[in-house]
Amino acid sequence: RVRNAERCARFATRSSTRVKHEGAVSTVQVSVLLPECSSAPSHLDSVLNNFSSFYLIKKLPVYELLDRHFLETAVYHGAVFGLSYRTRIDEDNCVALMPNGHLTLSLDKDSFEILGFEGKPSRFKHRTATRFVVSVDLTDSSMAPGRRSYLRLLTSLKSRLQLQTDFLLSHHPGGGASIQPLLSRCDWSQHRPEVNCRVLTNLPCPAPLSCDPHSFLEWLGAVDAGISCENSSSSFLSSFVCPEPNTMHRHALSVSVSGLLLPHDIHRLLQELRRYVEQPRLASWVSMTVRGFADSPVSCSNHEHGFLRGGENFYTLMMFHDHTYQLHLAMGAHDVCPP
Amino acid sequence: LPGVIHHPLVSLQSSFKAKAFTEAFLKNSIQQPRRHDLQNMLSHKAVILGYGRPKKERRKSAKARGLNARQKRELKVFQINPEHQRYELFLPLHELWRQYIIDLCGGLKATSNPQVVQQKLLKADFHGAILTVVRSKCPSYVGTSGILVQEFKHVFKIITRDDKLKVIPKRNSVFAVEINGFVSHIYGSKFEYRASERAAKKFKLKGTIDL
Repeated sequence: RVRNAERCARFATRSSTRVKHEGAVSTVQVSVLLPECSSAPSHLDSVLNNFSSFYLIKKLPVYELLDRHFLETAVYHGAVFGLSYRTRIDEDNCVALMPNGHLTLSLDKDSFEILGFEGKPSRFKHRTATRFVVSVDLTDSSMAPGRRSYLRLLTSLKSRLQLQTDFLLSHHPGGGASIQPLLSRCDWSQHRPEVNCRVLTNLPCPAPLSCDPHSFLEWLGAVDAGISCENSSSSFLSSFVCPEPNTMHRHALSVSVSGLLLPHDIHRLLQELRRYVEQPRLASWVSMTVRGFADSPVSCSNHEHGFLRGGENFYTLMMFHDHTYQLHLAMGAHDVCPP
Repeated sequence: LPGVIHHPLVSLQSSFKAKAFTEAFLKNSIQQPRRHDLQNMLSHKAVILGYGRPKKERRKSAKARGLNARQKRELKVFQINPEHQRYELFLPLHELWRQYIIDLCGGLKATSNPQVVQQKLLKADFHGAILTVVRSKCPSYVGTSGILVQEFKHVFKIITRDDKLKVIPKRNSVFAVEINGFVSHIYGSKFEYRASERAAKKFKLKGTIDL
């Protein structure tokens, strides 16, 4: 169990004209690799630069997320998405607010005992429970403002356990006005996702369909991290090798966007990349990797996420010229695999 | 009638016989009183006396035996009727308890040593105290607060402000008692003794106070 810290969960080749993006994962980084491309085409560039901005709120008291006005204007419309910032999932208390209205608190034992709201022990710690997850559906009728469970959660967060974290908040376009009242009460700053473009020269690329998915994924990660796979003889012998068979590409473009990214922005990027790959080019494939937060309490489709040796949860989408795609999904050891 | 023929020999004999016969007959037929039975009285008789110390009658034990648990339950002395379950009725009890604690701790000023106060509280009786559950392994108990009505070995029975009688198990909970600004946290898991037994109990720190 400890040996197998990373599981590559799915490797599927499908042919479809529509790729559906499951919009429930909290994203921190998207990396795109375009082989045989020396500069980003203009459409792609515009999409990349138009990712929506997000807000960082310092020391947000969590009961503010239960504010009646905020609930009615933002949460019920599914327009808000938030995550606690710089809280480690295995040590501190983490908070996540999903667009579908689910508020998830991942608490350590003492905080959970003081809070006094129903929750379940974490799936990933066995025998003695040291971590608890409180998952609340704010759109449910029992959590409507004024109801008993709503009031109980509110008093718990206000008087019993005064939970305060730095919070990253993002909203769907058009919902900006709804979070202004919340922001006005707190210390906030706005940030744009950071875009990094790199042109790589003389890059050996493996033919994607012909090699083992694990090694291809490793190569992709190496390129993204800027590790050279040349394997030249020096004092340090790296084991990262470009899988065979490989072809040499003169240029490649590696773009990465980091920040709190919204699903619909990623969707737009996806469409743009599909359009790009459909046109006849030298290279027949494009890859996009979407990485989630290592410390998020939830991973895709509201499943619980944990951190054992690494909190990776990401997926890589390989798109080909002929409308087929491959999906590589990787989860850490403390994760639930989606069906 | 011719007179009785007095034959001298026959009459002599018959008067002897008649006399003896008459005496014997009378003796047999008439009851002789014991007093006249001189022969019997004068013969030696031994009378055995009993060894007699006047025996004290065992007194019934003065105190009553007491009722066993079944009888107590049948009497229902410890059950409070719903019409008596009102928070206001127990507030005087709380005042009494506060006075008791203040007297016990010798004033309870702002300068009193918390250690001393805590030691006294360990042996004190809590009936009438306002308890609040601060932490608990079961989330639904957290936050319940009320006046302690009865303390048993494993549970507290408290009455909340909404006039509800709640039974809270002592195990896996931390209770807070507040007097005059001193807040004392009681770890219920270590407190599972009857109130009467607790007064004589020496508390040792064993194991962990983690819930």
